[in-house]
Amino acid sequence: MSTLGDLKDWMREQVASRVPKADLDQRDPDYIRDQLPGTWLLASLYFRADVQHLDRIPADGPVLLVGNHSGGNVPPDTFVFTLAFCSYFGVERPFYQLAHNLVVSAPPLGWLRKFGTVAANPENAKLALESGAALLVYPGGDYEVFRPSWERHKVDFDGRMGYVKLAREAGVPIVPVASVGGQESALFLNRGQWLAKLLMADKLLRLKSIPISLALPWGLNISDLAGHIPLPTKIAIEVQHPIDVDGDDQAVHDKVMASLQAGVDRLAARRRFPVIG
Amino acid sequence: MRVERRNLIDADRGAVWKIVSDPDRYPSFMARLERWESANQQPPGVGARYFVHWKIGSVPVGGLVEVVEFDDLRDLAWVGITGINLRGRIRLRDAGEGRTRVTFRLSYQAPGGIWGYIADRVAMRQVGRTTTETLKRLKAIAESGG
Repeated sequence: MSTLGDLKDWMREQVASRVPKADLDQRDPDYIRDQLPGTWLLASLYFRADVQHLDRIPADGPVLLVGNHSGGNVPPDTFVFTLAFCSYFGVERPFYQLAHNLVVSAPPLGWLRKFGTVAANPENAKLALESGAALLVYPGGDYEVFRPSWERHKVDFDGRMGYVKLAREAGVPIVPVASVGGQESALFLNRGQWLAKLLMADKLLRLKSIPISLALPWGLNISDLAGHIPLPTKIAIEVQHPIDVDGDDQAVHDKVMASLQAGVDRLAARRRFPVIG
Repeated sequence: MRVERRNLIDADRGAVWKIVSDPDRYPSFMARLERWESANQQPPGVGARYFVHWKIGSVPVGGLVEVVEFDDLRDLAWVGITGINLRGRIRLRDAGEGRTRVTFRLSYQAPGGIWGYIADRVAMRQVGRTTTETLKRLKAIAESGG
């Protein structure tokens, strides 16, 4: 048993040591500016994205943007919203996104840090908001992003509401960001929580799911760790009105969830076909 | 890329200038406008800055612009300060018998090398439609008495 315990500790250390320390200076506005045309082409031609009501985001100062997350390990909603935010407010406005440890520590994804992506933990989130930046978070994103495709229009943070405390302590409003379409980029069949437990990935890698999906180019795709080629699904995003953090955590969380679900329902009602939109 | 559209308005230059020189009127005639806000509260004229975004493709495109030419009854031009490289001009000229020829030009260049060039080409048709629609709306407003 002690050997197994040592192995778990060793693996945990290996992952933790590879997670880069939050360095907000790694965000590079010039790099982002140069990437915007490529992402605009992808968003406009491949995903036929439509982003509405960016004017609801306070024009300056720190703000916590809370979104529902879709699309497995290749979530189109994140890059479409990042493009829209940078295009609307300019790359000069500091904007950071929280991502799973495995995402920020993967060497091929090092360029994400230039976009302002930092590891998801309370310290990094606080650091970003205290610097006056806008911060995009997906509470329970690692759980929600692998929901089965037939639950694609259900907002589910897996009960996470630490973001409310974060907003309260930083004294910033919460702006919900609803999106649909991402969960149609592959056919997600099962979250695979049972598989994560069986392989102890939940303890070693903070992975609660080892999802099972049908995705390009793999066919049957277990874990999605290598990503997949997303189907050209239409992505629709609607920014909701800001919510002040003036009640207890549960009450604020309920407001955010209601706002997000209403936004998702509105966007879903306009959708006539899966993928095509 | 440079996009230019022209039209002839059955109204004198003074009437058309009254519309195009008034920043509050832009949301009423500028097509696909997503954002139009004063950025420095300066009265209309050279040095006034505005946040301007048009919905082009999937997202609002534009940025902070500054008016660099405000030639009474003749020309109004602006350049982009943030966002894509942008120059715009609305040019008014007499076309006889109380009519005005209006030219609307937009020159733009996205950053990012080859991808920027491709994005510029792809956006060109939509930018063209936007400028055409803008002039149609301007004509309708000016000919209905402003």
